[in-house]
Amino acid sequence: MKLWSWFWTNVVAVSSVLALSAQGPPKVIAITGGKLLTVSHGTIENGVLVMVDGKIAAVGENGKVNIPSGAQIVDAKGMTVYPGLIDPESNFGLTEISADEMSNDLAERSDEIMPHMHVYDAFHSETELIPVARLNGITNAVVAPASDDTIAGQDIFIQLYGPDRDRMIMGRDIALAMNYGAEQRRRGGSGGGKREYPSTRMGLVTQLRQTFLDVQDYIAKRDSAAKKDDKAFKRDLKMEALIPYLKGERPVVVGVYEGYDVENIMALAQEFHLKVILNHVTQTQEILDKIAAYKVPVIVGSIYDFPRADQRFDAVYMLPAELAKRGVKIAISSADAGGPVSSHSSRNLPYAAGFAVAYGLPYDDALKAITLNVAEMFGFGDRLGSLDVGKMANVVIANGDPLDVRTDVKQVYIQGVPVPMESRQTRLRDEYSK
Amino acid sequence: MHILAPLLAQRRGARCLFLAIAASAALAASGRAQQNSTQPQDFVIKNATVMTASHGTIENGAVWVHAGRITGVGATVNAPASATVVDAAGMWLTPGIIDPHSHSALDSDVNEATSPVTPSMHMIDAFDNRSADLYRALAGGVTTELLLHGSANMIGGQAVVIKNKFGLDRDAMLFPNAPGSIKFASGENPKRVYGSRDQLPSTRMGNFEVMRMAFEDARHYMAEWDAYNAKVKKGDKDAVAPKRDLKLEALADVLRGKLYVQIHCYRADEFLTEEAIAKEYGYKVRAFHHALEMYKVADKIAADQTGIATFSDWWGFKDEARDAIPWNAMMSMRKGVKVALKSDSDDHIRRLNQEAGKMVHYGGATEDEAIRMVTLNAAWIIGVDDRTGSIDVGKDADLVLWNHDPLSTYARAQKVYIDGDLFFDASLPGLGTTHFNGVMHDSGGFGGEDDAEDGQ
Repeated sequence: MKLWSWFWTNVVAVSSVLALSAQGPPKVIAITGGKLLTVSHGTIENGVLVMVDGKIAAVGENGKVNIPSGAQIVDAKGMTVYPGLIDPESNFGLTEISADEMSNDLAERSDEIMPHMHVYDAFHSETELIPVARLNGITNAVVAPASDDTIAGQDIFIQLYGPDRDRMIMGRDIALAMNYGAEQRRRGGSGGGKREYPSTRMGLVTQLRQTFLDVQDYIAKRDSAAKKDDKAFKRDLKMEALIPYLKGERPVVVGVYEGYDVENIMALAQEFHLKVILNHVTQTQEILDKIAAYKVPVIVGSIYDFPRADQRFDAVYMLPAELAKRGVKIAISSADAGGPVSSHSSRNLPYAAGFAVAYGLPYDDALKAITLNVAEMFGFGDRLGSLDVGKMANVVIANGDPLDVRTDVKQVYIQGVPVPMESRQTRLRDEYSK
Repeated sequence: MHILAPLLAQRRGARCLFLAIAASAALAASGRAQQNSTQPQDFVIKNATVMTASHGTIENGAVWVHAGRITGVGATVNAPASATVVDAAGMWLTPGIIDPHSHSALDSDVNEATSPVTPSMHMIDAFDNRSADLYRALAGGVTTELLLHGSANMIGGQAVVIKNKFGLDRDAMLFPNAPGSIKFASGENPKRVYGSRDQLPSTRMGNFEVMRMAFEDARHYMAEWDAYNAKVKKGDKDAVAPKRDLKLEALADVLRGKLYVQIHCYRADEFLTEEAIAKEYGYKVRAFHHALEMYKVADKIAADQTGIATFSDWWGFKDEARDAIPWNAMMSMRKGVKVALKSDSDDHIRRLNQEAGKMVHYGGATEDEAIRMVTLNAAWIIGVDDRTGSIDVGKDADLVLWNHDPLSTYARAQKVYIDGDLFFDASLPGLGTTHFNGVMHDSGGFGGEDDAEDGQ
């Protein structure tokens, strides 16, 4: 049996497939007999999951769940059923071919402080990267600008399937993308850099602190103008963009690698009461207790980042386990080692989580780190990330352990819709398999 | 026999001979003689799930190692009673992982990107045997690597084959008597590197013509030597020898079939052109590397007995990787192409076993087929498959013990043996190395795709 026809051959009871294709996807689907990894409340070995109108309507043991009459029954015996995976940092729709500059909208490099760059303005929802990732069970993602700037712009949260761009964007300006470390000193350096301010870490931090003070000043002036009904007050989009983050209303994702950089940037973040999500932290082995004490969530990775010379080979592989052990809420990054994240490899997200299991992370924590934890970090925990009644029916059926490289995803549902298990890659495969 | 041939052999021999001497010295000192080995002369790994790569999986199998070689393999082995026993119950044993496309331990000396034809470059001159990349690959079970020149040049430099005996001196890490390989490239990288400087080549037309011109030069050079040798043979005492030219001698070695030709090549049309040029000038292509569009023309290339060393699932990083599909390896293999997976990356080299595991997912590889793609087939591409790459009697005891099925996401290499000596043991405190002392060099980690450093 061909993998990509799994869905239709396993639909055991439906009124009429022909009628269905004319009417659009079924409204009520029951997935029966599968092993349900609920993420929120353990594993159900022989379970039933009912999806009604794009939401999860029932989850439970086979025989104990009422299956509505007229439901399409999908036999998932021998299969594993789990919530759609969520990539905590992607560049879906901001890149197509990495080396083709014209297909990239990754970061605006004219200045370091670019909070008014909105990812939704560049997001190309028809990118081929999305169906490719979707076939491996990725149903949602945070899309962030690349890490060139200290403040690179604002992220969106997407659904990896939908009729158009607007219905694929679940949230705009959901988080601020901030970065700190060696990489952001791009105006300086010994390699023929421009030697313009800010060219050092001192410059970067000072510039950030001044920016945040400017925003506080702007807020005061703006509020005062509003009180006086001063129509002459000029809106400053850069300042406006930062207000919700300085008020602590939305998360700031801080990309930082080295331990001492974490300490510096966290001091600044605490000074301005930012709501931080730490990102990367792959060279922080010496300050893990301190990171736990910050009580902020952490996106770990790439867990394939290289340790320093003379460090044990697994110094980075162990980080998810070491942080989780210390009570940190973690997500796991889909990135390969080094360099900027490329969402061409987003489909390998579950394998990064599996590799963290190989190096000590409990299995349930690993699955949570690519589902529920990500949803919660970005404000979607009430809608996504677990198999719970009332949540959006983003559900995956696979023929085995979702974190194993050998496993085939058989069917992905997004908002209860069975997504065509196709991409440009499967079309090429099929064309040349004739 | 031409007089030229021994002359060239001698020149090449200047290096090869040196290597051979160094290698045999190393052998005498620490190789089969086991002088510095941490392991006994005879030991048996018992109760393991033995994935042979050549003849299936043996549950509860045993492997007997004698003096650095595999001397018995099966449900039981006839080892002497004195042999040390390694109980591997609950563990998996595979041949050492082999990477047929690596740029590890070369610092940033991957590309001599100053001319599109640089066949007299030798990667051994850049090999840094204390690089942390070697250690991290060892911890991922990698025992043999083909260290290649980069892909900036249509005709690049000559590779070095190493055994990953991390901690030994440089010469002891060279794979003794491994055949020579030379790196060719095609497509975007050469045309970008030289085109950006307004030099030839800046197009694929230019790329291939640069190769043909180089081989015309080599033919002319060989003819000059033939003429000279003929004169000498006739007793002409006034004959003047042509000037020896390292570049042309290396190209002559290609035309004489003395070097395995390893070609960086992505697109289907370019495989065909490369094969046509090879036929025109009378050499064979050992393998296409990357080869992401092989699935489109696999039947044709299979007929040429050219293998591929490909990525499992990389795609979209450049225009010529646009049509890459993760089923490429399996579709090509089913059409008769010998397929290996490779890293081209200091990152992925640490988990090539998982890349093999992905082939179960992308195309339904059997266990044997999957594991072979990172062992025996990779050895074939390098030309050392008679020595390593499978668990068979007579082969070097390059072995990895895993705590979990190596085709899964969960496997960690527990012990890595090379020539029967233990080089990595995860249960040891610290680095887990047995031979390494001192300070590692960090080459900054080469993230992947060898053009990343081209011309930079």
